[in-house]
Amino acid sequence: MKEDIPQFPENSEKWEVQLRKGSLELAILASLWDGRLYGLEILRHLETSSDLIVVEGTAYPLLNRLRALGLVETEWVESDSGHPRKYYQLTAAGRQRALEMSGIWARFSASMNSLLEPLNREKSKQTGEEKP
Amino acid sequence: MTLSAESQKTVDAYLASLRKQLRDLLEEDINDIVAEIRAHILDKTSGEAATDTVASTLAALGTPEELASRYRTEELLKRAQMSRSPAFLLRSVTRWGLLSLVGILVFAVSVFGYLIGGGLSILGVLKVISPSTTGLYGQFTASSWGLSFNSGGQPAPGVHELLGWWLLPIGLLLGPVLFFLTFRFDLWSIRKFWRPRAWR
Repeated sequence: MKEDIPQFPENSEKWEVQLRKGSLELAILASLWDGRLYGLEILRHLETSSDLIVVEGTAYPLLNRLRALGLVETEWVESDSGHPRKYYQLTAAGRQRALEMSGIWARFSASMNSLLEPLNREKSKQTGEEKP
Repeated sequence: MTLSAESQKTVDAYLASLRKQLRDLLEEDINDIVAEIRAHILDKTSGEAATDTVASTLAALGTPEELASRYRTEELLKRAQMSRSPAFLLRSVTRWGLLSLVGILVFAVSVFGYLIGGGLSILGVLKVISPSTTGLYGQFTASSWGLSFNSGGQPAPGVHELLGWWLLPIGLLLGPVLFFLTFRFDLWSIRKFWRPRAWR
């Protein structure tokens, strides 16, 4: 319940959860960039090509919202598993949004990385000392 | 498609319950959602690529109530952001109030604002129609005090009318303004505070 209130996370794990939460929409749009996928494929794609783990019970309602916003469109396709599957595909608006978000992400991470440069130097010095 | 009869029964019961919980959505959307969740369960639990048991798959989805409530909240709050109807906003805020602390606060403020705003407006109109019996009454004694709105009957003894004709401008102006401000507050708080929750 508390996570609705904007507040500074009390530890790094909570901070990481917030960070991941904010990037989920872009992650889903990006996973659809090369073509259509059904819900479970999107979840597995996020788990294998990144370490993003999404809870299923929240991913499907979110996909439903992306569709309602017109960023993805859906289509039922018959499969040889015996039941049809609901495929998601980016719309033109969805591609546009993904590109914009990815640009923002690139600028943001570049400036963060340069800001973190001194910390990284410190870290590699430490690990260097531990293993002489 | 190799679920045991018992597993099949569990899945059917889950989906039936989900359908029931989603009932205030459009029929078309309900069918779509239930079919997708059914396909998800089957993909995870049967066939060659099966990785999970029925129990663990259903656990990852949450109870039918939780899952449906996430769909409904996404749906309602999305529509509410574009809504012009106080009734619809209040309904969305009510649902939000069931899910989070901020939602509860927004809900409480909404109910208070709509009741007082609506009540004042109605009293203002009644004062025009029936001036002698409409008013805001107060009773103040050493042991107790109270405020009440009244219209149509004779006030009880010991109770004083407080506003007199001031009820007209206060009711007719302040009432609608308060009502409108509550409406704006709902819209503003939904846009500002509501976040879809998708991560653990």
